[in-house]
This record gives sequence, C-alpha cells and structure tokens, in this order.
Amino acid sequence: MRSPHFLDRTFAVHDHQADRLPTHPLHSAAPAASQWTQLQEAVAAAPIRFLHGTTTLAFVFQHGIIVAVDSRASMGQYIGSGSVRKIIEINPYLLGTMAGGAADCSFWERYLGMRCRLYELEHKERISVAAASKLLANIVYRYKGMGLSMGTMIAGWDKTGPQLYYVDNDGTRLHGKRFSVGSGSTFAYGVLDQEYQWDMEPAAAAELGRRAVFHATHRDAFSGGYINVYHVRADGWVNLSHDDSGIAKFREYIGYERYVKKTAAITQERPREVEGEVREAQERMAI
Amino acid sequence: MFQSRSEYDRGVNTFSPEGRLFQVEYALEAIKLGSTAVGVQTAEGVVIAVEKRIPSPLVEPRSIEKIVEVDVHAGAALSGLTADARTLIEHARREAQNHRFHYDEPMPVESIARAVCDLALRFGESGEGGDDDDGDDNDKNEGDGEDDERSGPRLSRPFGVALLIAGWDENGPALYTTDPSGTCIHWGAKAIGAGSEAAQNALQEQYRRDMRLAEAEVLALRVLRQVMEEKLNAHNVEVAAVTRTVDHARVGQFQLYSTERVKACVARLPETETATS
Repeated sequence: MRSPHFLDRTFAVHDHQADRLPTHPLHSAAPAASQWTQLQEAVAAAPIRFLHGTTTLAFVFQHGIIVAVDSRASMGQYIGSGSVRKIIEINPYLLGTMAGGAADCSFWERYLGMRCRLYELEHKERISVAAASKLLANIVYRYKGMGLSMGTMIAGWDKTGPQLYYVDNDGTRLHGKRFSVGSGSTFAYGVLDQEYQWDMEPAAAAELGRRAVFHATHRDAFSGGYINVYHVRADGWVNLSHDDSGIAKFREYIGYERYVKKTAAITQERPREVEGEVREAQERMAI
Repeated sequence: MFQSRSEYDRGVNTFSPEGRLFQVEYALEAIKLGSTAVGVQTAEGVVIAVEKRIPSPLVEPRSIEKIVEVDVHAGAALSGLTADARTLIEHARREAQNHRFHYDEPMPVESIARAVCDLALRFGESGEGGDDDDGDDNDKNEGDGEDDERSGPRLSRPFGVALLIAGWDENGPALYTTDPSGTCIHWGAKAIGAGSEAAQNALQEQYRRDMRLAEAEVLALRVLRQVMEEKLNAHNVEVAAVTRTVDHARVGQFQLYSTERVKACVARLPETETATS
C-alpha cells in the first residue's frame, strides 16, 4: 500500500513514526468525519511535494548557536532549485530552518514572526524561544493530519541564553543541544556528533556546521547547492557564510589535497614534493 | 433641549429627529474629560505629547500609559477612557502586522487610522453581524485559539476614546485623529482631551509647517503646560516622536522618550509663559 505523501517524508528525527496513520479527527480544528476520508485521499493524491530532500542542522555551544543548511530543493529525482534559502529570518534574534514543504515552512514561520511581533508590542519584551516554538507547535498541531509538511528548528537567544527547539508537523516539539533534520541528517549527525564540543570557538563551530552539511550533501543525493551558515549570538543572528558545496569544498574536505596535506603534516615532507604529489593526484583523478 | 434628548439618547442606533446620534455625542463628551494630548507634525517628524494625570502619589507613574507603539513606524496618544483604547490599539497593532504579513510593507498611517475608525463604528445592540474584523482571511491562522475573543460580543456602546496617531510612511510624516464617531482626519497640529479647545487655539497661533522637530517638541510641551492643572514636569507628561529612519526615507521610527529625554525637552521650555493667548 502506498502511504500518503505527507507520511513518507524523510525527517530522520523519528522515522519510526512513519507508519502511524492518522485515523480519526481528534481535534476540533480537524474536518468532520465524513470529510476526513476525502481529505486523506486528497492528501494522498496531492501533487509532488517540494523540498523533501534536505540537510539542515543546528547546535548550541558555548558562544551561541550555529545553524547550517544546504540549498537544494528537490521533488523526487528532479532538482527544482539549487539556491533555496532554508534559514528563515523570523526576526533579528530568531531563526527558523526549512525542511519538508518549502511553502509550509516559509509561510508559517513568517506567520510566527508576526505573532512574535504582536507579543513584543503587548508585553514590551521579546518573546522567549520556548514560547515562540510552542506557538508554532500549537499552530501546526491544529492542522495535524491535513497534509502540512515541515520539520523545523527554532533557534534564538533570550533571557535564559541560547535556546534551540525542534518543531514538526506532528506537533512534536523538542528542546535540545543538537538537531539535524532532513534526508541528509544522518550523515550530518555523523560528523556533528563526532566533532562537537561545548567549548568550541565560534570559527571552529561554524566550520563544523559547514563540514557536517558538506558531508551530507556529498552522500545524500537530495541535498546540495550552497552551504549557508548563521551564528545566533546574544545580540542577534549574523550570516556567516554562503559557500558552494561543489568541487572546492570537496577538495577542502575530501579530495587529495586534504589527504596530501595530512600526510605532509605527519611525515614533515618538504612542500615542493607535496605540490608535485598534489598535481599528480589531480591528474590521476582528473578533477 | 434636554427633554428632547432624553427621548432619543437611549439607543445607540437611533437618530433624533434633528439627525443626531446622542450616544455618539456623549462619547465625544467623555473625551473632553480625558487628559490633554497634543500632536505636532513637521517635515522632520511628528511629535506627540500627553498629560499624564497621576491621581495619587502612591501610583506608580510608569503604569499609566498614554502613548503606545502601534508598529515600528507609528504610535498613538490616547485621550478619554483609556480602557476602551486597549481594544482599539490591539486592533490597530493586529491590522498593522496583518498588513506586513500580507503585503510585506509597513501599513500606511492613513490605513491604520482607517482601521481604528472601522472598529470604532462597529458597536451596537444587535451583537450579530460581528464578522471577524479584517474581513479577509485567517480565523484558522490564528492557530492557538488565543484570539477567539474576536468573534465574541462586540462593544454595545461607542468607544469613549480618541486617538492621535502619529506615523511616518512612504508619503512622509502623518498625524491623524480618530474619535468615537469614526471620523478620521489628517492634521498639521492637533490637540484632543480636556484642554483641547485652548490648546488648539494656541496651536493655531504658534504652529508653522516649516518647524524643526526640536521646535515641535517645545511647542507641544508649551501648549500642554498652558492647559495642564498641575505644574508640568518630566514625570507627568509623556512624549514620543516618529521620525524617518536614518537609512530609509520611506520608513519611520517610533520612539517613546525616556524620562531623561523628556527632562531635556522640558529644560528647553521658556521659563515663564508670556501671555501669548
């Protein structure tokens, strides 16, 4: 049996839930029972969903939060765009990431931005990341089972310091130090978990985020394009980098230069010989 | 006179034979009991200043709010029943944010004033027909059910409050008033509230369109000082301004003055008011 599209998403965070079907309209916002089957059929027959393949990650460390993402939008085998901005600037101190339906994420996170602004006007202080993420989780929960597709991380800095939440279309909301969402997330987790340390310097942390996304783009066919990195700091977020995940990064992270450089460092070889070896390696690989 | 009124001032939706809506007129009277608010528009920005009546020395002055931010580029001064103003202000803020959400641009100040007036007129006894106030979209988008009161009963009487809305949009500075009758007017300089008559006369004499913002601050405070019962100081007035942002001529920046800044403005006032009026 073919499962509805919104269920065969690739959020690695809890794939074990993929076979759980929404069976009954439990919530008041859900349509009446007679419409429910109709809706499910419609959802199942829905047109191709955008942006299912993705790598997004975020982690908290000593100096804030690093958010790093790829930029590929794919619909099955087809690459719809190679330059999607998957980090959504909700406001100057809150970031959201985009995985699942591009429109779902950008719309609801923009809506979240509006709600945060209203909160600010009413309470004369910035909304906490906990409250903002809960707002989003509550909103998507009202649409549960109706075809929304989003797996997002909300990152920000509030009175309690840097905070990171994972929110998805099931209504799941998790507080944590490290998250990665999307089809490439397993690869990113591999790098991230290996290298992560709480007391990293910002530059090293950003580089880790970049590298984790790169390795995901390398192994996951549905991730690629550019690697965007943001840093959430006490005074708001900053956009750190926008790098092509192509050949240059390949050379830096995987290619022969890196191999040779490593060897050189170990054997203390003279640079000229190293250069020769690099050229040779490149000719061999024709890259 | 009074006898004829008593017949027709019961219902909020009944005209008198002379064509008047007494409840609305009474609401306008309620504003004349409120504290005075003054607004002055210049090419550099709009200044609004309000008298803050502090009923007892035990009152925490900061808890009395007479000037509120509506959005980054607009603010409002209140006069009259400030409790009623809360509904209007919340509506204005919501409309301003909805505008940004839908059109990705700041809401024109005139539209903000119109939105307030739309709600100001939406009172009545029937209670039905109270469809959601932005008419267009997203009851469902309200998501977490926090906004359910919007579809609840409407106010059964006119709002007893007038607003001075100051802002800066793509057309530059703007100063609007809204009142319980739903009238919405763009002014160069305007006073509302208890002392509004005297204050408006003073403004008429002293206001010039080519004023600098600093002069407008002084004018607003001087006019306020003339009509206030208490002696004006940095704690019993509130001042705010909307000016153009440094990097963008089409967008304004609302700023409520800190006590220190109000103090500095008060210090610039001439010591004694030579009887100008």
